[in-house]
Amino acid sequence: MNKKVISLISCIMILATGLVGCSSAKTTPTKTETPSSLIYGIDGDPGNSVNVITTGDRYGLMEIKLLYSPLYMYNTDKVVYFLAESMTPSKDNLSYTAKLRKNVKWSDGKPFTADDVVFTYNEMLKESNAGWAYGQLVFDGKPVKVEKVDNYTVKFVLPKVGASAMELLGNIFIMPKHIYAGETNIENSSKNATPVGTGPYKFQEFKSGQYVKFISNPDYFLGAPKIKNVIFREIQDANTAQLAIQNGEINALAVQPTDISKLSNKNKLNIVPYDEGRVGYMAFNLPSKTVQNKEVRKAILYALNRNQMITAAYISDKYAKPVYSFLPNESKYNSSDVEKYDTNVDKSKALLTKAGVSNLKLKLAYVSNNVPMQKEATIIQENLKAAGISVELLGMDQTALMENNKKHNGKFDMYLGGYIMGIDPDTFSSLFTTNGSANYIGYSNTQIDKLFAAGTTETDVAKRKVIYNNIQKILQDDAVFYPIVENKRILVIDSSIDGIKDAGLVPVYTFEDMSKLFYKK
Amino acid sequence: MSLKRYILKRIVQAIPMLIIISVLCFTLIQLAPYNAVDAMVTPRMSQATVDLIKAKYGLDKPAYIQYFYWLGGIVHGQFGYSIITHQSISSELVARIPATIVVALPAYICSVILAIIFGLIAGAHKDKWQDKIIDGLCSVGIAIPSFWLAMILIFIFGYKLMLLPILGMHTIGNESSNVDFLKHFIMPFTVLTLAFVPDQTRYVRSSTIGQLSRDYVMLQDAFGASRFEILFKHVLKNVVLPIITKMGIALPMLVTGAVITETVFGWPGVGPYFLTAIKGLDYPVIMAILLLSSSLVILGNLLSDILYCLTDPRIKGMR
Repeated sequence: MNKKVISLISCIMILATGLVGCSSAKTTPTKTETPSSLIYGIDGDPGNSVNVITTGDRYGLMEIKLLYSPLYMYNTDKVVYFLAESMTPSKDNLSYTAKLRKNVKWSDGKPFTADDVVFTYNEMLKESNAGWAYGQLVFDGKPVKVEKVDNYTVKFVLPKVGASAMELLGNIFIMPKHIYAGETNIENSSKNATPVGTGPYKFQEFKSGQYVKFISNPDYFLGAPKIKNVIFREIQDANTAQLAIQNGEINALAVQPTDISKLSNKNKLNIVPYDEGRVGYMAFNLPSKTVQNKEVRKAILYALNRNQMITAAYISDKYAKPVYSFLPNESKYNSSDVEKYDTNVDKSKALLTKAGVSNLKLKLAYVSNNVPMQKEATIIQENLKAAGISVELLGMDQTALMENNKKHNGKFDMYLGGYIMGIDPDTFSSLFTTNGSANYIGYSNTQIDKLFAAGTTETDVAKRKVIYNNIQKILQDDAVFYPIVENKRILVIDSSIDGIKDAGLVPVYTFEDMSKLFYKK
Repeated sequence: MSLKRYILKRIVQAIPMLIIISVLCFTLIQLAPYNAVDAMVTPRMSQATVDLIKAKYGLDKPAYIQYFYWLGGIVHGQFGYSIITHQSISSELVARIPATIVVALPAYICSVILAIIFGLIAGAHKDKWQDKIIDGLCSVGIAIPSFWLAMILIFIFGYKLMLLPILGMHTIGNESSNVDFLKHFIMPFTVLTLAFVPDQTRYVRSSTIGQLSRDYVMLQDAFGASRFEILFKHVLKNVVLPIITKMGIALPMLVTGAVITETVFGWPGVGPYFLTAIKGLDYPVIMAILLLSSSLVILGNLLSDILYCLTDPRIKGMR
């Protein structure tokens, strides 16, 4: 009898183990932090080894934006000045002069001068540093010369005229010469762990796998930040992150459009979609023989339905809009005088018959864990089925897709991709010129090459417009590249945080200046 | 052969195994159809810059030379740098392994204790209702994926009831509070324990069933020993022996035992680090962790062999 009781109790215990958790923790819910801090959830490791020369990932750059300041930021055709008060080109456009802000201090108290600027640009120009902006500071194999005129004036001398020089010289963050001088390995320098900057925040603490914490810089030259601490909190699992923003453990998070309906307490959260200038596209992989015939490519494009793809991937046009050329819609060079390939299944079938192709079988590659791409791929498969073309979907890892693209091995006929390039159309040339470093299509058109080269050195806006209109027209007519969507990044942020407009939403960094954010009283 | 000599012999035997493992890890990564440098280059970089980065990390050298670079570093206690985050791998592991141990070890010990209790009960009552309940629950437990259980717990206790925090090991700025740590600890601990228990219980159950048919049990029964006494005094000893072997083999679990659970809870252990490295093909990190956990398999085997011959006089006699 007794034994039976014991075993019964044990069986109850097994059931209870799962509930042990709650019984011992009946306390009030944890209120995370005082509203003196902003916790931004991110799905990667922010790291604490950022430096202005080699750091290139989104979260590393978000840290850089807090810790350091550039001379100016060149964003969507608007220049925002930070350490520089002005940047003026000479009459012949061969040199630019930057007037620096006076009385700016590094976070260790030392004054900021032209020496720091010259030092930073020269380190960026050192080939051995493998800096991110190296390629854009070298024109035709010749580097830009950076000269100190006086303590608060720096002159940039270009080897030849560049229409987008203002953009190419910007967005580079300045590092302190008195800290980094003589450092041969900037990327792995131990100095990166204790950064000295001119940004709105100062580094406070890094906990590997958990968070990186910043404290406001009271001496920030644009005024001390209003929120005392900014914390980037690492959360790998998207579901956990969504629950965490709803129960207030974090205050900001980027989400996918499909996740918005899952957020229940919307009154406590602000949903802020903003433009990053990202173009999502489908491109042909020209090394594959199947798609080398232009008529066949056109037939394929006429069978596609762009709007269906956008609705499936981004729910509504609130978060994404169609794009018809390689330039984002906001670009002042974006042209609407291009072939848009509006859906026309009959035309598609006619073109196929004309080309003498039947039973067309295609392979479409995409990044398998990218939800919008998964949906776009399925729609493409459906669309083409209606035109009698069968499509095999090849979902793969991002790096594997890149590698296949770089090798031009023709393992698939089409692929889905996306890019965030610069503002100036010249920054897109690497995608389509014959020897372009990001020309994964395998596209080669001497006319396009000549036009891009002409666009680089042409400084007259009207003439440049003609050049880029031409490029867009030819490119769409060649039917190698099918722009689909320009999608927004969706930031979910605690609705008690204000000042988002002043802080400014920008590509990559999220905020132009986090010092402007504040908690409503 | 003395025990010391035996241990020494086993350690020497383990060295070629470790070398084979390192070669295997390296070969597997090399066979992947991509290159680690891809994670660092952007479309804006010129080919010259890409080549420079390759040269910087020795990725332009033939595979066997890359292998010796890496092995040389390990010998000097240097696992190298992550090529994506540029952090020292050793210091990352030093920070993360304790976090994993702090949740995985108590969960494992707790699960072994629970498994022994439930396994003995189930085994002793084979095919009776107690056994059916325990065995049935074990089947359910094995079938439930731990990430799902973790999400359910988070949803109920973290979101609906707001009883427990969801994220990480501490509330930021409250690192020294033990109460705060315990609150963060409860959910991952529960998930891990429940993940370990069913398998172990079944193991104990089946070896209990085996032991109960032995002669010594019949003898004790004949002597009039109570069921309880037989079970917890005599059968237990024999059941625990193979458990010791299992515990030795479970040693790598202290590094990679909680990958999924840690990732769901944002626990700052080895798990999220490992997963991120795999996603970004951060091969120095992947290899460091693989090497570490496979070395622990060998060490664990060594340990269980030694423990076994320390605890079981029969085995000691055989040598």
